Amino acid sequence: MTQLRNVWLVLCGITLLSWWLGSEHSAPSTQAAALITYGALLITGVKVRLIVVKFMEAHQQSKRLQLAMDAWLLALVVGLAAIYAFKVSMPPV
Amino acid sequence: MIEVTAAAALPSTQRAQPDAFAERLSGAWAFIAFECVTFSAYFVIYMLYRMRDPETFARAQTHLSPTFGVANTLILLTSSWQVARSVHSARAERYSDAQRQGAFTLALGVVFVVSKLSEWSLELSRGYTFGTNDFFAFYFFLTGIHIVHVLVGFAFMIAAMTKLRTEERHPQTMEVAGIYWHMVDLLWVIIFALLYVVR
Repeated sequence: MTQLRNVWLVLCGITLLSWWLGSEHSAPSTQAAALITYGALLITGVKVRLIVVKFMEAHQQSKRLQLAMDAWLLALVVGLAAIYAFKVSMPPV
Repeated sequence: MIEVTAAAALPSTQRAQPDAFAERLSGAWAFIAFECVTFSAYFVIYMLYRMRDPETFARAQTHLSPTFGVANTLILLTSSWQVARSVHSARAERYSDAQRQGAFTLALGVVFVVSKLSEWSLELSRGYTFGTNDFFAFYFFLTGIHIVHVLVGFAFMIAAMTKLRTEERHPQTMEVAGIYWHMVDLLWVIIFALLYVVR
């Protein structure tokens, strides 16, 4: 139970870090925007994995399931970062 | 090994049916995986649209309230913590604790829905609708479809808490409800980053 509370505290702390990252309303420079975006995606990956491992206990269901969830999360975070980095976009209307 | 672990985690009333329990959990996880992949497609499409017109998205994003975003995230994270506690309590056959923690989960879910409706009202009152631009189309779509999943989560939680009251106790329903609720939480964590934080 204490471990669950500690995980919750870490998740809340990381969320407040995201709030600080997202609190800038004026247009950031391109470099700052990139840092914010990559930072947000990385933080999101860490938070989601904490939820999957510590709250959902995927590894207790099976190692294969844990690997599948890790693979999905990695593919999603890396995929979104790659779209952003290489400016992959929908074709213009 | 998996069946032993799952069976050992069950209260005495359920240890006679570890195979049925493991099978139900496997089914729940298959559904969770399907939902995660489906939402991932939405997230990728959002990012592709964002990169087509980053200035419009960045400008539109400034009209969202980061305070609402982070508050909603903290609410759902706390609800996830509570449902995890409820599952652990049910495994330990502390059923009144499990009920109380499940009720707290539900209450936080209601707070989230009220907060989200308030946020939508705020944006609509400022003149931002689904049709304003692509960013707000994604904003209302992603948060809307997420809220639908929260409401489904309510149904799972109510069913789980009802099962805990019966003589047979059936804590595995809370296990399944808990996994679904955590999925709703983690999907919101991603939505929060994409709508409120990335630039």
